Amino acid sequence: MPGREPAWRMFAAELLSATETEQGTGDRPVTYLVSPYGARIGRALLAGHLSGIERVGEGERPPFYRARLTDPTGAITVTAGSYQPRALAVLLRVSPPTTVLVVGRPHLYRGREGTAFVSIRAEAIAPVGELEYLRAVAEILAQTLDRLDVLAAIRAGASTGGTGPELWIAGARASAARYPSARPEGLTASLRSALGVVRGDGPPTATSPTSPGTIPAESATDRRSFRPTPPPPLTEAQRAEEGVFLDLIDELAEGSVDGYADVREAFARLADRGVSADRAEELLGRLETEGAVEEPIVGKLRRP
Amino acid sequence: MASDASAEAIEIRLRELRPGPPVSFVARVVRIERREITRKSDGQRRPILTGLVSDGTGTVRFTWWDPPSEEIDRGTVLRVARAEVREYLGRAEVAFTYKTRIAPAAEAELPRLGWDEMPVRTIRDLTPPDEGFRLDARVVRVAARTVAVGAERRSLFEGRLADGTGLLGFTAWRDFSFREGEAVRIGGGYLRLYRGRPQLVLDDRSMVARLPESSLPPAADLGSPSRQSLARCEAEGGGEAVELAGRVVAILPPSGLVYRCPQCRRQTHQGICPNHGPVAGEADLAARLVLDDGTGAATVNLDRPATESVSGLTLEACLERLRSAPDPSGIEELLWERLIGSSWTVRGSAYVDDFGLSLRPETITPTAESEAPDTDALQRRLT
Repeated sequence: MPGREPAWRMFAAELLSATETEQGTGDRPVTYLVSPYGARIGRALLAGHLSGIERVGEGERPPFYRARLTDPTGAITVTAGSYQPRALAVLLRVSPPTTVLVVGRPHLYRGREGTAFVSIRAEAIAPVGELEYLRAVAEILAQTLDRLDVLAAIRAGASTGGTGPELWIAGARASAARYPSARPEGLTASLRSALGVVRGDGPPTATSPTSPGTIPAESATDRRSFRPTPPPPLTEAQRAEEGVFLDLIDELAEGSVDGYADVREAFARLADRGVSADRAEELLGRLETEGAVEEPIVGKLRRP
Repeated sequence: MASDASAEAIEIRLRELRPGPPVSFVARVVRIERREITRKSDGQRRPILTGLVSDGTGTVRFTWWDPPSEEIDRGTVLRVARAEVREYLGRAEVAFTYKTRIAPAAEAELPRLGWDEMPVRTIRDLTPPDEGFRLDARVVRVAARTVAVGAERRSLFEGRLADGTGLLGFTAWRDFSFREGEAVRIGGGYLRLYRGRPQLVLDDRSMVARLPESSLPPAADLGSPSRQSLARCEAEGGGEAVELAGRVVAILPPSGLVYRCPQCRRQTHQGICPNHGPVAGEADLAARLVLDDGTGAATVNLDRPATESVSGLTLEACLERLRSAPDPSGIEELLWERLIGSSWTVRGSAYVDDFGLSLRPETITPTAESEAPDTDALQRRLT
């Protein structure tokens, strides 16, 4: 394909869930990050709150900075060095926490135990106001949902016709091939959290409270109300279920080699106790939203 | 140049050219090139002229063996008698040999076609290098522009035609007094490929007639673009009239303050024009934005008024700033600061080349800045 690699609208959660890369072709091949949710990313656009800007390395070396970008779904590392002078200039200029849009290339670092660490090498950073931030989150959410539809069609065996842009279809194919067992539900909790932010249900992130004047304050107290319909208060039974699930995760994590609890195993054990897959999914979504459980690698859970 | 043009051969129009006996015609040289070839029999070098001749009904390749030594200019009208016709790669072409008589001719001797002689075509089935056809269409857009032709400044009219089968850009080198919305009958134009898109060129010999009564669709139904994704626009190879929206994710050089040759408006580099050498460049503002909607990316080329309107900068303010901070690249940095991340809706024409999708905007406006996101729609999709 001629032309420039577009910027995939991305949430941190999707980028952080990626553990696979693919080498591009051509004179200057790009290394793509392949996500489990249908994206083959050469460039990404994110929206979030920038904090923790710090210089990496010292002395005579060319400047290299990193910062933390927190969006409604998680936090990802953003870097900029002397080869990204414009992004670097913004990092040096702003005083965090600042709401920004970031355009950059994803970078995957693989640790010794096979753990994946994804960061964004920023090409451009733009400070934005609250409304523009919300619009960007809504845009990312809408496109992520669109891409999940394309992925579902490709997984269901659809040929190329009419499902979406060529690039998205190629991304969905790469994704389906690399993550044969990934489930789109893995992203649901993150997307609900993003919807909550767009709806103004609560503080978008723990680090940066939004100013109440700019977004309609519906219910700024209960983070559970990120769910599309405000749920009834949790029953004793649900509380108990959560406790069981958390214990289960601890148990599985302790017994595993990598220190993570496998989602499928956790769900199987819940099924043994009479918790249906749907209920288990909902439970996981709730716990992830509450921040009690995180899924840094697809299919792998841990207590933060 | 031989001047005896009185020869017995069939007088034809180039549209009718077929391999067969020698022919005679009057045509204009539209492209000409002098070359040398090696004669097979004795290995000697001999000059030939090759190029294209057109009489308004067709354009054909010619080869002129043992040509006169004086220059034949592009645009010269020739009366050609007893040219040989041959077929090369499935197309008829003419050869001027020792039997052929060639003489200069006047513009007026070129064939003048009546409306009835021109085949009727629609926009959908026109492709470069078609000519000698008749087209009924509505003018959906027309604007005057001044361009540099060599050292000369000429004004021309650019716009777009629509007939219900498609859209076609045009350039008129003469003022036909086109008005937007009117239905016209056009003859004597030709199609060329301009920046990757077919374009109708109308010159002094083209004819335009008004059609007060026309079965063409009303102007309101023609030529208003619908929003599409950048990926789709690129897949379709661009379009005559498109509407695209996205965010600015990068700004490409040359953007900001540029200097142009006062004669040809080309950008100068260190005071040197590629055409005219050292010149005193005139300051101008321009921007090349990369617009990205997540499905694709396009380069949007903005002229000075558009650059001023999207950035809020003015050329005067930039020059003033330059006096206090003498670094012209500072203006490009200002554009980055002001435009990265911002959302725009662009209407205009789009084309695809080796560098991907490019837009030539007619309008560029902020995308619904005050609009709040449609949370209900998103919520429905998540449940």
